[in-house]
Amino acid sequence: MAVCTGCSLLCEDIELTLKTGAISQVKNLCRKGHGHFQALFTERIVPKIDGQEVSVDQAITKAVDILRNAKHPLLYGWSNSALEAQRVGIDLGKKLGATIDDTSSFCQGILMELVLTGKLPTCTLDDVRNFADTSVFWGADPSNSHPRLLSRFAYYPRGSKRQKSYEEERNCLVVDVRKSATAKLCSNYFRVPPGGDADFIASVIDVLDGKIPKYGDKKRMIELGTILRKTEYGVIFPGVGLVYALQDKIELLKTLVAKLNEITTFKVVPMVEHYNMRGFNQLLLDDSGSINRVSFHSGQVTHGPENSIMAAAKICDAALVIGSDPLSSLPFGTAKSLAGVSLIAIDPRRSLTTDAAQVVIPSAMYGLEAGGSAIRMDGVRIEFEPIVKSDLLSDEQILARIKEEI
Amino acid sequence: MVGAMEIYKLLPTDACKECGYSSCMALAVALLNREKKLEDCPALLNPKYADKFKKLKELLAPLEKASETGLIIHPEKCFGCGNCVVACPVNVAAEPTRCGIGLGPQGDRVILAVEDGVVKCMNVKECRRFGPNKVMCNACTVTCPSKAIEFV
Amino acid sequence: MQVVVTVVTFRDIFQNEAEKKSRYSEDYRKLSAQITLDKQDMAGLGVKDGQNVLVKNDVGSVVVAVKASEDDSHPGLAFMVNSPWSNQLVRDDVCETNIPGFKGISAQVSPSGESVTQISELFQRMKAQGA
Repeated sequence: MAVCTGCSLLCEDIELTLKTGAISQVKNLCRKGHGHFQALFTERIVPKIDGQEVSVDQAITKAVDILRNAKHPLLYGWSNSALEAQRVGIDLGKKLGATIDDTSSFCQGILMELVLTGKLPTCTLDDVRNFADTSVFWGADPSNSHPRLLSRFAYYPRGSKRQKSYEEERNCLVVDVRKSATAKLCSNYFRVPPGGDADFIASVIDVLDGKIPKYGDKKRMIELGTILRKTEYGVIFPGVGLVYALQDKIELLKTLVAKLNEITTFKVVPMVEHYNMRGFNQLLLDDSGSINRVSFHSGQVTHGPENSIMAAAKICDAALVIGSDPLSSLPFGTAKSLAGVSLIAIDPRRSLTTDAAQVVIPSAMYGLEAGGSAIRMDGVRIEFEPIVKSDLLSDEQILARIKEEI
Repeated sequence: MVGAMEIYKLLPTDACKECGYSSCMALAVALLNREKKLEDCPALLNPKYADKFKKLKELLAPLEKASETGLIIHPEKCFGCGNCVVACPVNVAAEPTRCGIGLGPQGDRVILAVEDGVVKCMNVKECRRFGPNKVMCNACTVTCPSKAIEFV
Repeated sequence: MQVVVTVVTFRDIFQNEAEKKSRYSEDYRKLSAQITLDKQDMAGLGVKDGQNVLVKNDVGSVVVAVKASEDDSHPGLAFMVNSPWSNQLVRDDVCETNIPGFKGISAQVSPSGESVTQISELFQRMKAQGA
């Protein structure tokens, strides 16, 4: 059995057959996970300085050199590293007086903060499978992003209290601007215009209060209100679609969830994309009081939007990027800023970021070539072992060496 | 998917009954259910119907790939999500502690399993759609996000 | 000819699979560098499924292929899968939450005779400093 680190579901029932080091057959991996496993064999990289191949030792020494001389170093990525590596990374940040931020900063961060600080009620995915009769996917399309979420937990499996499952006992609601693959499967689809989520929430609160809703199709909103009222155990899965639409109005979601909990039980599980984003957020919160966007500059711990990857990319003079490709995933302006600083990339595979980096340090793929542990999207800790032999250093080993040499 | 009416429109519609059915519509249904072959219609072999024969061949070609229960899998469309694996009542009965609770199967008594990122079909005789007492179960098709799995 | 659209980005499992195999592959480019348009907007532009369009705003521009929407009518609303191509159009000077507007990008779409922007071109734009 292997664990798939392809998304934050961390599926543990992966069976594979290995033949002379290659994967000859894999059972139970979804298409996305299968792509992730195949990534072992493509676009692997070698250690480099300024485009020239060097030894790992030389690359690490050069990275140390860059970080030591930087006035405003930025450490970014983290959501694709094991907890053990994240732990060393945070300690490295302290030692350097660096700014540290992860991918949650531009996706689920504001929501995750509410969940991890207890301001939004949450539950595990096993609770969802056993008890939930209503799952709401809001600005999320798990069929594409978390392919096995519906089959393993949210809609199709039988649970201790949900033996009749999707046929009779479960609702699956989708609120989205787009009729996504999940919207086609769900029991009830509600279309919102782009940015219309705040109005939609206001309307749901209205119908729950027994008022006529201001926005949207009145009949359908009342239908939605009825489903929510009849729910015994509901779970909202907010995706980045909802987070981006609400931004500084994220409190509205809190208000809605509080309102729902006056009537029945409703939980929130954020649709975390990368397999260990939640792990990093939890570690940094325990350590610094904030889930992301932290600066350890001059021995002071500060947090705020000025430490976000978006802002820090513009003021840092060196950046260490680990397990992430911000040049692909962030807006052009941010990507361009990062491409212009002394960049150190630690990654198993080639990306636009490794192409732009002054120093490239190849790492082992977690879950495949290196073992460790991670926090699933619902907070459950999952351990994994390597499944193939590799001489590559893990993120944890690379960071430990950098930290030691500094 | 192809329907009986589409097939009917391409048949000679002369009600010659040589195929053993009383109408060409009945033959169309039989062709759809793969109980008869195009060659069972002698009139259709007449050169003047060559065009229609060719079109019918093309129309019925996907059916040839279908299993005995009429199941067709399009692996290129499959997400590998396992919705069908978990929803299939035969899978759940075979492995209640695996498929029943959302996990992939371990044994070899199931009908559907995900391998190498896409769904595969096996033990087709166990499907509720198999044989004369078949039930029109569609648990695997209605739970598919991409129409990767169909019945003819 | 030009239409103004709001681009909403989304995720696609096939594009994600292609990315895992290689960001530099033809598959990844094909599945990333495309924009899903409403049929009404396509008619307005006189473009067919598979033809190329220039998508631009004051942040940047890319040439991508048109995909005809299969969803219910949504004129003025377009969809692009999350990728370095869509990110060419995303603002980074954002409000105080510092979360970029990936889901509501205002852009103009017009027919283009040029070929689809290559990832190497996107990379060169990032590396070109002081521009």
